[in-house]
Amino acid sequence: MDHGLIFRWLLFGEWRSHLLQAVVVITAIALGVALGYAIHLINTAAYNEFSAATKNLTGQSDLQVRGTQAMFDERLYPALMARDDVVTANPVLELDVVVSAKQTERSDNKLKILGIDLFRAMEISPDLIGMPAEGKPLDGLSDDAIFLSPAAMEWLQVKQDESLQLRVGTQTINFRVAGGLVRSRAGQRIAVMDIATAQWRFQHLGLLSRIELKLAEGVNHAAFKTKLTQELGEYYRVTESADQETRVNNMSRAYRVNLNMLALVALFTGAFLVFSSQALSVIRRRHQFALLRVLGLTRRELLQQILSEGAVLGVVGSLLGLALGYVTAFIALQYFGGDLGSGFFKGVQPALFFSVSSAAIFFLLGLGVTLLGSAVPAWEAANANTAPALKSGSEEMALKRLARPWPALLCLGLAGLFVLMPPIFDLPVFGYLAIALLLIGGIALMPYISTLFFSMASTWNNTRIYNVIAALTLARLANASNQASIALGGVLASFSLMVAMAIMVTSFRESVDDWLEQVLPADIYVQLAASGDQGGFQLPQQEAIAAIPGVSRYDFSRFIKLTLDPGRPEITLIARPIDATDPRNTLPIIGNTVEPGLLTDDVIPIWVSEAMVDLYNFTVGKQVRLPLRTAGPDTPQFIVAGVWRDYGRQFGAIQMQLSDYQLLSNDLNVNTAALWLQTGTTAEQLMASLKNLSFGGALDITQSSDIRTLSLEIFDRSFAVTYLLEAVAVVIGLLGVAASFSAQALARTKEFGMLRHIGVMRRQVLRMLAAEGGLLTVLGVILGFVIGWGISLILVFVVNPQSFHWTMQLHLPWSWLAIVALVMVVLAGLTALIAGRHAVSGNAIRAVREDW
Amino acid sequence: MVFSTYAYGKKTWLLVFARMVTIAWSLFTAVSFAESPRYMPVMPDYDLVFPKDYGSHQGFRIEWWYVTGWLETPDEKPLGFQVTFFRYATDHDSENPSRFAPKHLIIAHLALSDPAVGKLLHEEKTARESFDLAYARQGNTDVKLDDWTFVRVADGSYEVEMQGSNIGLKLSLKPTQPILLQGGDGFSRKGPEPEQASYYYSEPHLQVAGTVFRHGKSVTVSGSAWLDHEWSSDILDPNADGWDWVGANLDDGSALMAFQIRLKKGGKLWAYAALRDAAGHVTLFEPEQVEFTPQRTWRSPHTDAVYPVEMRIRTGETEWLLTPLFDDQELDSRQSTAAVYWEGAVTLSRDGQPAGRGYLELTGYFRPLDM
Amino acid sequence: MLKLININKGYADGRQVLSNLSYCLNNGEYVAIMGDSGVGKSTLLNLIAGLDKPDTGEILIDDVAISSLDDDAATRLRREKFGFIFQAFYILPHLTLSQNVALPLLLNGVSIEAAEQMLVAVGLQGRGHHFPRQLSGGELQRVAIARALIHRPKLVLADEPTGNLDPDTAHEILMLMRTEIKANGASGIIVTHSKAAAATADRVLVLTKDGLHPAVLN
Repeated sequence: MDHGLIFRWLLFGEWRSHLLQAVVVITAIALGVALGYAIHLINTAAYNEFSAATKNLTGQSDLQVRGTQAMFDERLYPALMARDDVVTANPVLELDVVVSAKQTERSDNKLKILGIDLFRAMEISPDLIGMPAEGKPLDGLSDDAIFLSPAAMEWLQVKQDESLQLRVGTQTINFRVAGGLVRSRAGQRIAVMDIATAQWRFQHLGLLSRIELKLAEGVNHAAFKTKLTQELGEYYRVTESADQETRVNNMSRAYRVNLNMLALVALFTGAFLVFSSQALSVIRRRHQFALLRVLGLTRRELLQQILSEGAVLGVVGSLLGLALGYVTAFIALQYFGGDLGSGFFKGVQPALFFSVSSAAIFFLLGLGVTLLGSAVPAWEAANANTAPALKSGSEEMALKRLARPWPALLCLGLAGLFVLMPPIFDLPVFGYLAIALLLIGGIALMPYISTLFFSMASTWNNTRIYNVIAALTLARLANASNQASIALGGVLASFSLMVAMAIMVTSFRESVDDWLEQVLPADIYVQLAASGDQGGFQLPQQEAIAAIPGVSRYDFSRFIKLTLDPGRPEITLIARPIDATDPRNTLPIIGNTVEPGLLTDDVIPIWVSEAMVDLYNFTVGKQVRLPLRTAGPDTPQFIVAGVWRDYGRQFGAIQMQLSDYQLLSNDLNVNTAALWLQTGTTAEQLMASLKNLSFGGALDITQSSDIRTLSLEIFDRSFAVTYLLEAVAVVIGLLGVAASFSAQALARTKEFGMLRHIGVMRRQVLRMLAAEGGLLTVLGVILGFVIGWGISLILVFVVNPQSFHWTMQLHLPWSWLAIVALVMVVLAGLTALIAGRHAVSGNAIRAVREDW
Repeated sequence: MVFSTYAYGKKTWLLVFARMVTIAWSLFTAVSFAESPRYMPVMPDYDLVFPKDYGSHQGFRIEWWYVTGWLETPDEKPLGFQVTFFRYATDHDSENPSRFAPKHLIIAHLALSDPAVGKLLHEEKTARESFDLAYARQGNTDVKLDDWTFVRVADGSYEVEMQGSNIGLKLSLKPTQPILLQGGDGFSRKGPEPEQASYYYSEPHLQVAGTVFRHGKSVTVSGSAWLDHEWSSDILDPNADGWDWVGANLDDGSALMAFQIRLKKGGKLWAYAALRDAAGHVTLFEPEQVEFTPQRTWRSPHTDAVYPVEMRIRTGETEWLLTPLFDDQELDSRQSTAAVYWEGAVTLSRDGQPAGRGYLELTGYFRPLDM
Repeated sequence: MLKLININKGYADGRQVLSNLSYCLNNGEYVAIMGDSGVGKSTLLNLIAGLDKPDTGEILIDDVAISSLDDDAATRLRREKFGFIFQAFYILPHLTLSQNVALPLLLNGVSIEAAEQMLVAVGLQGRGHHFPRQLSGGELQRVAIARALIHRPKLVLADEPTGNLDPDTAHEILMLMRTEIKANGASGIIVTHSKAAAATADRVLVLTKDGLHPAVLN
């Protein structure tokens, strides 16, 4: 039989009459696919570029040797070079140096500088060798030459032969831009100079950041790595390129995965919309399908018909989505960079890369979601009893099957179980599954709850206040609420997610705000434009700062980078004065602590951030060792005395007493001074006195209120994407409501015609419709709020700690939620009304004609 | 003596390793144009003092130890070799206390001429003098570049060890004759201006024994070599175009060295020759007594450069005919150092009779196309 | 061509509708079935069309037991051998008249050219491109007749085909039905309350709880 023609006739017939619904489904799928695909493209591009750029910096070495601290003694270099199994050792000094011209741009004023020996680099990282001007072949060895990548030149607005001022501590140093780094990655902002020049000019004499090794042919890399690790001892880490990749991967994975998840949520919401739209379409056409069955369409053919209709929508939507996603990604990369404002992939300029396989995956996701949404209605229609289905009034019957509460309760139960599960590969896989199940379960329960709710309301109305419109409305909602509930499914999903995100973001923001207040108790913070672990305030400078009039109290802190695990990003060690009697006065401690009285003299107390507990298992009371270079011969033992909350360093941070640190390391320099004002002194006065110090020009002075404002700005910027995703989800949801309400109103034309015949006034019909829409939405909003609250609990207490290793307190944005709820109810009522006007406008005769 | 004219094309610049040029070969041009006053000038009437002058002279801009020679493999096949160690003083700030400070560079070069291969095999290396990984020591010949070494040991012979990725050698060079001071007292003029000069002595007829490695296989070799040690701060005249040089151990125990510096506009800027007979009597030739006449040219299929691979050299009344071991002894390292010159083993004949064996160097014949 | 053998059928609530019903309809025969409401006329039609199954007994269409076929086979038999005319017309609203009429041809996988001709036959020439909403009730039922007969079925089942029409239109439609069923050589069963409608059939049967009986015409 010619199924193709029937298929097309029915499809186009349906589209002709219900174009809006088809458009909504296509839009929902397209937007879902577009968002997912765009975020995937951006993330992949940024990650690959970041990874390539990182690789570009380490070249084609077999192994890299680093210190557990940022710098180590250069004498390791000749020792490694002298080994028979090492062909070449490439010493590198890598520094982030403040550019004088950019000093005012606090968050973005450093240039990555690599000091290299070009003769060694030639064999391992030739891309990092600068190209000198013609006739100046020896600039690569010069004591004043710097080579800049194109991106760095653009950023700094300098050209070859011009000069560049860099800040080191309290000094400004002039360099001559000797040439470019033509092989650097697009957007990579780096500079290269001779290693001796870098050591000398940036006060890093005798120090290296890493040594890259090329091993002799036939040397077993793994065995050599083990041997060298043992020989070098605990203050060194021998890593492979694979470790480097793991490290880069670990650094951004939580961010990337969570963003991808958010994008998939949009697609997931789309699935609900497809379901509700397809379910309503199938119910509306129940008679038509029954007739086709009578005329001789088999079950399978009918199933095929409905699924194929869905597939067409899915294909069109997915293809549109891919195109839209590509364009979105392109624009986003052009205007916002690869990290979408989150700061995870700084200093790279990724290029989009189209891969057939990822496009195919997102296409199939979009199509799959559509088919999934169509499957249940199609199955129901194909298996309906044909003869009864021909009769009118059988629609609700069909939906009874979809309204059973047990599968929904099962989903909710599973969700409850999943939130207790631990993360997989550091990712909250079960957390996300629980969210999906909670959403499915909650929405599947909607028809059941609405019947219950409206039956009660109807009974109440009939016994208390008898109002014909109310009676009609409630009767309809109580007895035929399934269709309406399904219509609400899409918007319920998006509303729940919006509520969840809003609660999560508010909780996070409030917690960060509280935290900032706790960690920034002083009035003014002073820093030196330092590079690496070197520099900072030396003793005379510390004394000068302490002696400034108007300072009531001062605290100095020292920041050190430590590598505990070569596969993970560095952690930060912060040494500062901590209230020994009660650390809670200094640190945002959470949970138990080791009582100060219980600490013995042979172990040094440290307080670790939550990430340290998750990533390195530094639990309270545990004795640990740190690869901290000490002045004495003994390796000190540390005890985890408490855990504090840290939103600033996702990869882990440790705090210890500055006095302990100085005793251990003999390093008396500090990086930051926190200053409290004396009463009667203003911040401006103190800042002016600081500027007047002999090294005042090199100081970076900030008021704590500015740091707070800046931090919250960064916070808001990084969540901007999620706001966008929420808005998109809600708009799709509302579109779905509009489409299904208008479809239902059309289907009920005859009912309205009858009501008009028996004397119900036009505006009464409209009022009834608005009331129906409004009441349903009220219920939807309530349920959506409950589901959203549940999801937010999962986000706050499962997903966040598992992905980012920090906890937060729950805060509910009541007023914001109330406004959104009100807007939703009004919008849904209006939508119902507009849809209804269209249906009521026809005359009564036509209403009778349009029987089905 | 590798006064190779530093020439690089645009294409070369695009190559990753092009930077090496920068160092190895350009420094010679750098010498000729930009002389830094802090380097010591080469003055006449200086008496070379040994063993001190076997060692490095850090006060001078550039210095090299340069060995060429003929070897014989156990199956009596001839094999030419060339070993060079340079020290080059950079303009890097001498105040820089960093151990990495690149105040001096050490550059080494190794080439083998095997007629069976039909072209040159070569390796090169550069490093800054630092951490005892690379150095040129004062007091006696002692040069090191990673695992490449060139050392004068107690009995006056030289030990050279160089192991590259494809070729290598480990040779012992034993003097059989006293050293030969060029220019009479070691002051060797390189042009009409008095400051265009170098300190220069040679050790001809070094007796060679050792091993040569090629592609993982080693062969025992023996033969005879010629050593030059030369240092200066200013050598080439700006009008110089290139350089033809020959050093040869003659069969009768005498030693011949001759060179000419060609003018860009054609003709000869300067020339010199010295002939020492077996008895130790040295004859020096003035520029006008030395004449290089090309006999046969060879066009390189690699670079299109045309070299006078067969050369007739007149020193006073004597005519020498130089015949290459094989034609393609061009060193084309545009991929790495961008230097292109001809450097090969040659046999010498006088009056149609074989007279000896030596090395001929022809530089400045390659002109990259300007694209 | 149609044989009903000892059909028993009860509703889900236990009420017995048809008991021991047997009947035989010959080729080309056109009968009307009358009976009180709730006696099981529509149930009988559903059983014959294979839309429902008897509790016991057999229904043979051209010696094929439709009552024991699975759904797919029954569906195939239905689309090949049956034509349907309903009280509420059931013309698909978003298809044109031609498309509606052509549906059975498409389902049977044959050329749909005959659709226009069929529309001419039912008096709707030139209106094939119209949509159902542009038609009156009588015209809609003409479309239904065309659809019921386009694929030359063996048996046309009509359930109160004139129930929604005024008497004049109803008569026209009944005559058209009869003419077309006869012209196409089909058998026909018309279920109706209307004596006038029943009168257009070859024979009139009355369905009671005891079975099918020839009507006593007064």
